Amino acid sequence: MIKRSFFALSKPRLTYDLLDTSLPSAEELAIPGTLTLLLPEKIDRAKKALIGPGDAVKKGQKLKLYDDSAPYVLSPAAGTIKGFDSYADDFGNTATYITIKPDASAKDDDQWAQIDLEQTLEFAADYLGHIPGALPVSTLTNPNYDIRTIVVTGADTDILCDTCQFVCTAYAGLMVAGAKILKAMTRADRICITVPENLSAQVDLDGFNVLRTSDTYPSNLPAMIMKDHFGKALSPGTLPEEEGVCFIRPEALVSLARTYETGHPVFDKIITLIDKGGQRHRVKATIGTPISKILSCFNVQINERDRVIIGGPMRGFATYTVHHPVVPDMDTLMVQDSDVIPEISDNACVNCGECVRVCPANIPVNLLVRYLEANLYEEAADRFDLESCIECGLCGYVCRAGIPLYQYIRLGKHELLTLRENA
Amino acid sequence: MTNTKLIVSHAPFWHNGDSLFQQNLNFFIALLPAAIFGIFHFGAPALGVLALATSSAMLWEVIMSVLSKKKMAIADMDSAIIGLLFGMMVPATMPWWVVITGTFIAVVLGKFVFGGTGGNPFHPTLVGIAILTMSWPAFFDFDTAYVSYQFDFTALAPLAALKSQGTYALASFSNYDLLMGNEVGGIGSTFGLGIIIGGIYLILKGYARWEIVASFIAGILITATLFFVLHPDTYAPPLFHLLSGYTLIGAFFLAVENSSSPVNRIPMLIYGFLGGFMIILVRNIGIYPDGTVLAILLINLVNPLIDTIRPKALGKGVPNA
Repeated sequence: MIKRSFFALSKPRLTYDLLDTSLPSAEELAIPGTLTLLLPEKIDRAKKALIGPGDAVKKGQKLKLYDDSAPYVLSPAAGTIKGFDSYADDFGNTATYITIKPDASAKDDDQWAQIDLEQTLEFAADYLGHIPGALPVSTLTNPNYDIRTIVVTGADTDILCDTCQFVCTAYAGLMVAGAKILKAMTRADRICITVPENLSAQVDLDGFNVLRTSDTYPSNLPAMIMKDHFGKALSPGTLPEEEGVCFIRPEALVSLARTYETGHPVFDKIITLIDKGGQRHRVKATIGTPISKILSCFNVQINERDRVIIGGPMRGFATYTVHHPVVPDMDTLMVQDSDVIPEISDNACVNCGECVRVCPANIPVNLLVRYLEANLYEEAADRFDLESCIECGLCGYVCRAGIPLYQYIRLGKHELLTLRENA
Repeated sequence: MTNTKLIVSHAPFWHNGDSLFQQNLNFFIALLPAAIFGIFHFGAPALGVLALATSSAMLWEVIMSVLSKKKMAIADMDSAIIGLLFGMMVPATMPWWVVITGTFIAVVLGKFVFGGTGGNPFHPTLVGIAILTMSWPAFFDFDTAYVSYQFDFTALAPLAALKSQGTYALASFSNYDLLMGNEVGGIGSTFGLGIIIGGIYLILKGYARWEIVASFIAGILITATLFFVLHPDTYAPPLFHLLSGYTLIGAFFLAVENSSSPVNRIPMLIYGFLGGFMIILVRNIGIYPDGTVLAILLINLVNPLIDTIRPKALGKGVPNA
């Protein structure tokens, strides 16, 4: 953990980590005894489900809960459905866990052999929404957006993480092929890639527009890329997509290329595990593998009151169970020992101004948090720039009173959206 | 591993380790040089006053926390600093009951009635000092306070002497003496050098904003120079103003208090300058010998107003630029 320096005249500077080249290539993890798939739709007892416990599934089979539901997952292996469970994230959005018992002896009778792989967005939306790297098909197919620029996040957005850099250097050829496919599918006329300016490893990518990003956090976040490289400071509440820019992970391109090359969807996700000592491990795990398998593969012991973080230290989220599965957008796993977990408090803001000075979006966080604490979300947005927040988490990192500022802001944005939807 | 209870909380999962305790501990360390000098200078009574002020302030905090059923935050040392600063601003001979009343006003009326740490619009210590100065001005008369002491320097409070005798009094005070604490005054507010060293330490540690300190001092020097240049016979030179009375402790420790000072750069500069400007106005034109307490309370008052001068947030005001 990076502590406050002894002299603290200037604002703290957090830097991105460069690719850890000392690691051997990703270790492949065998398909475990149980796979859990996370389907972003909640169980509705009133409807008749299409799938149920005991059903046999084939590798690559599309699983949907109901006839009229849009979300789907692809089964990474042949086997039988064991059961369902519901899952809720930190904002109460519910989803469904589908557990599958893979059957190694099942013949690979190929679902996908009959499917004609078309290079169209409709096909991608239908079948490729679940490939490793999480291709943002819903953004690409959204009729409200006119995506003309695609930015591949070759530079990881959170500190400590280097999975994206690893993918860019290890699979450059596949990325170029994937980019060609993506270009053919979409109306995008420009594909850019962010690369850390100090990265010594050669990123040799044909046809990509290389954007060199600074090593100071949060310069790799979409909003900062928009401002620094495209000269468009996003107006409050707008998304890069509305400006015609879509951000995707490099791994999505790799998976896309491999899918079209082989004619089969791929399911192995590259994940970087950062253990309690800060040591990195690179692993290739099948989507649906429980996190606990990855942890035990590298002998990472989890004790009571430890914290398992999906994502980086600034923007990730903590999971409540080690049975949470590997999902297509999971790049980094981080384990924190209970001893180093910083305390948060319910102190009032003391107006020290550290957050205001560190905020890359110039938000008066000291005033904003007072309104958020009082549930005054509209005022917070109108007068104190709630929606300008780029969600970097630096305010919470420096808060002297130990207030969970970033969480207040995220909650505020969430509540504001709910208010507007209900209005 | 199956049913291990994990800690679930939200990002960021790192913290830079800063805390209110660290802040107040650093204030404490920074105040020590001036406070220890005061103890050597004014003897055991000074130690008594400092200890009583600090401990009684902490006691008021405990009592108020219990009464208001708030979480006990005594370990943050916030009230300890309020009390210590109070002790450092009063003469060593102040009676115990005045000290306790003063810390009561500072902690309870200055801080708790506004909702505790972070809610106070004024510096709590200054609220205590200001109300006591109005109520019992006799106890803040530094000339009578040290009447039984034997000093090897002019035992006159510099600013009071300036007020009553005019610029003739200035001959008895050299800038060096004022800097080295050879003057009578509050226990911890006479030793200019110690305050400056402590203050610079606090600035380097990032717990006091240099913008406020620098503009505060600039406000004093510029305003005092203007007066002095126009009427050298009537008004004291700028360095005398800077080194006497509460000026330095005000600049380095009182004006920078978080809750009552701005957070944006331009407002900090305005705030500090205004403070320095007001001090000189009070001293040169007003009726009080030392205007520091009132000047800082006044800038505390305008703080919310000037702190609205702030940079535009990302994406605001400049469409697609």
